[in-house]
Amino acid sequence: MSEKLSQALEFANYRATLNNQRAILRARVESLLSYSIDGGTFTIDPGLISFVKTLSDSGLETTVLLDIYQNPIQVQVEEFLTEILSRYTEATNDYHAEYVKLSKARSVSKLLDITDD
Amino acid sequence: MTKGILMFAHNNTEIDYLRMAVVNAMLIKKHLGVDVTIVTDQHSYDYVALTMSDSQISSCVDNIIINHKDKDFKRTNSKVYRDTVNLQKSLSFYNLDRADAYDISPYDETIMIDADYLILGNTLNSCWGNKNPLMMNYTWQDINFNRKFDLDRLSVASITQYWATVVYFKKSEYAQSFFTLCKNVRKNYGYYKNLYRWAGGTFRNDYVFSVAAHMLDGLTDKALPELPFKLFKSFDYDDIHSVISTHEILMYLEKHDSPGEFLLSKWSNLDLHVMNKWAINRAAQDFMELIT
Repeated sequence: MSEKLSQALEFANYRATLNNQRAILRARVESLLSYSIDGGTFTIDPGLISFVKTLSDSGLETTVLLDIYQNPIQVQVEEFLTEILSRYTEATNDYHAEYVKLSKARSVSKLLDITDD
Repeated sequence: MTKGILMFAHNNTEIDYLRMAVVNAMLIKKHLGVDVTIVTDQHSYDYVALTMSDSQISSCVDNIIINHKDKDFKRTNSKVYRDTVNLQKSLSFYNLDRADAYDISPYDETIMIDADYLILGNTLNSCWGNKNPLMMNYTWQDINFNRKFDLDRLSVASITQYWATVVYFKKSEYAQSFFTLCKNVRKNYGYYKNLYRWAGGTFRNDYVFSVAAHMLDGLTDKALPELPFKLFKSFDYDDIHSVISTHEILMYLEKHDSPGEFLLSKWSNLDLHVMNKWAINRAAQDFMELIT
């Protein structure tokens, strides 16, 4: 096998590993953005955060939100907002840090944090 | 409300399911901190005592329930087990008692999991107290994201397949009815096999639970709510390369277009259904050393 072909295959393997690790990272972040409270489960996203912020700004103390199952869940607005904001920030910051780390890794071993031996 | 994890573990001549379940119980204690009950049989229990001490088992398993095996079923039910593309064997597969989970479970809230569903994080704790009395997944994700297996229905012309790999239920009329239906499907397996048109001779709880889910809500597809997380799977064509920590493993994932060639992949913090049982038994010692 020529050296160029060997390098191209090695690069293809690196790209396949990178793509899979990125997909795994996204799955992990999605999991971190799932929040369960009082028998309900919510997916934390900018829409939920904005809506709860609007409720908070209107002075509501408690409200009922529909969770991912469309079950009505009563929540304390301020407490809920603080929690989802904190979780969202933490998850996306982690995502960014890990994403940058993956982007900078230029070999399979670096992508996976393993030694070559 | 009491809560805990329930596993069923019946060995065959090659696969030490009980050892797998005990190692998983160690991971459960570490990541979830809840009670664990394992249902097994006398032979499996006697065999695990050869490789694990009583104190090792009792440190992570709160209840061991010994069930008698149905000898006829044991003799007739088998399935193909693979250890990557290199090994393929047809072995006895004893899975008859899972439909009894509702009666067996000592908990108000139970999460029943396969012994090969490795607990690598605290995701399952998000289920406790859920308003839904029963939850199972029909969506799933291969951790080799490029690979596609067609496992979404019992057969092309049949209903959506639910996975009995992880089942959350709380003691309730709804869950009790579900398991009553499961027992009925189990008893009349041949009839339902013809009615729902699935192929293959192996008794599978995925099929039993899917039919019960379909019947329970008035013959409606996908009516039973899913668990609040994705079900991640690796297949028996894959292998565990190494155990990095109690929440992180390195996997060999078979490439979708090149059988026998692998992609290395690091998997962490999320629970994983590892279908290669030999791989788990090989990794068991490493997990045990990291935990103890």
